[in-house]
Amino acid sequence: MLTLLALPLTLLGLQQGMAQRLAGRVSPTVAALVEQLGTTGAARGLPIDPLIQKAIEGSAKSIPDDRVAAAVRLVATQLDTAATALREGGPVSDTLAIAAGAFAINAGLSGSDITALARVGASPQALTVGLRVAGTLAALGVPRAENIGLVSTTLRSGQPAESLLLLPAHVQSAMANGSTPAAAAAGLSRAAAAQARHGPPPGRGQPPPHPAPPPHP
Amino acid sequence: MSERDFHPLVKQLLDGELTIADLPAELRAEGEEALRLLTGVDRSPVELPAVTQRVMQTLASRPAPAVPAWKRVMRPREIRLRIRPWVLAPALAVAAALILLIWPATPARPAPLVTVRFVLVAPDAREVSLAGTFNQWDAHATPLVRSGSTGVWTATLTLPAGQHQYAFVVDGARWVPDPGAPAVDDGFGRRNSVLTL
Repeated sequence: MLTLLALPLTLLGLQQGMAQRLAGRVSPTVAALVEQLGTTGAARGLPIDPLIQKAIEGSAKSIPDDRVAAAVRLVATQLDTAATALREGGPVSDTLAIAAGAFAINAGLSGSDITALARVGASPQALTVGLRVAGTLAALGVPRAENIGLVSTTLRSGQPAESLLLLPAHVQSAMANGSTPAAAAAGLSRAAAAQARHGPPPGRGQPPPHPAPPPHP
Repeated sequence: MSERDFHPLVKQLLDGELTIADLPAELRAEGEEALRLLTGVDRSPVELPAVTQRVMQTLASRPAPAVPAWKRVMRPREIRLRIRPWVLAPALAVAAALILLIWPATPARPAPLVTVRFVLVAPDAREVSLAGTFNQWDAHATPLVRSGSTGVWTATLTLPAGQHQYAFVVDGARWVPDPGAPAVDDGFGRRNSVLTL
């Protein structure tokens, strides 16, 4: 009862926050659409930041309003799909995980792929990183089956998040040496499975002391 | 008023505990006399309103006994509140909304920062900048620096761990994805580069 009464006030605050971020960056038409989609989405536990980002991006790229509106609606749909897929895979309803799932869907994965990763049973933080990495691998051209196989195997192996974050770089490196994205991912998946069976190699049981290296060393 | 001591049995007669027939014959005369005296008594109620009024006036005119201030403050008081439940609902709703608004404003742990170097080879470009989710897609916020005459443009940024999408903006108008990074559809018929940290 109390939550139901508080919700309109909370959503009112969110709406004002969105209006402030969009003011002067997008047209009033697009702003109104984002506020409407964001408010209804937030009431269902969806993140609003991807909607705002897409609207601002469209305006920055001088895209006509109707196409920006269509892109924002597509993002809203992807967020909805990701949230549904995550709920089917487990109790995770974290907004970061939902945003990561929407990104993965935009990169070419499906709702069932998101559900499969959620069913691995990783922590919300690890799942969020896994979804981001899966989307990045899809953007590199790794097919869905090899992609989900690699990420879920790595998640199950219990390796630190840094290992997940290095997967796209490893795939890119294998591709630079002539491997296909599918073959590169399959090879990494076999290595991760072997590591899960036998434990990490000597000296690699702990996460590295420094963050992951930049993409352009 | 004469004072006379009656026999205990006669006193019981006066109290109603015995009748005249219950008395021994030698006491019946004393009992009848006692009853006669009793019937002569005025039994009408006595009313003294003036006395009551005088007593109350005297009490009211007396100063109240001095009570220390701390005792007056600490003295328990009975407070009666009459509340309509529906009046409380808006106040509780405001309180709950404030809690919900403030709660997410205290992040559990800030995302670690990662230093990233962006590179674009564009020998013919006059200016190159970087726009993405990390700078609100501002095409002027993050210019790249040309390295000598090789046409290599670079920028080094410190970004929070997470996922970022971006593109290079060449000569203020042309949006170019990073050729060295994975890319996704931007929803506008172009590609955004992806950086996962």
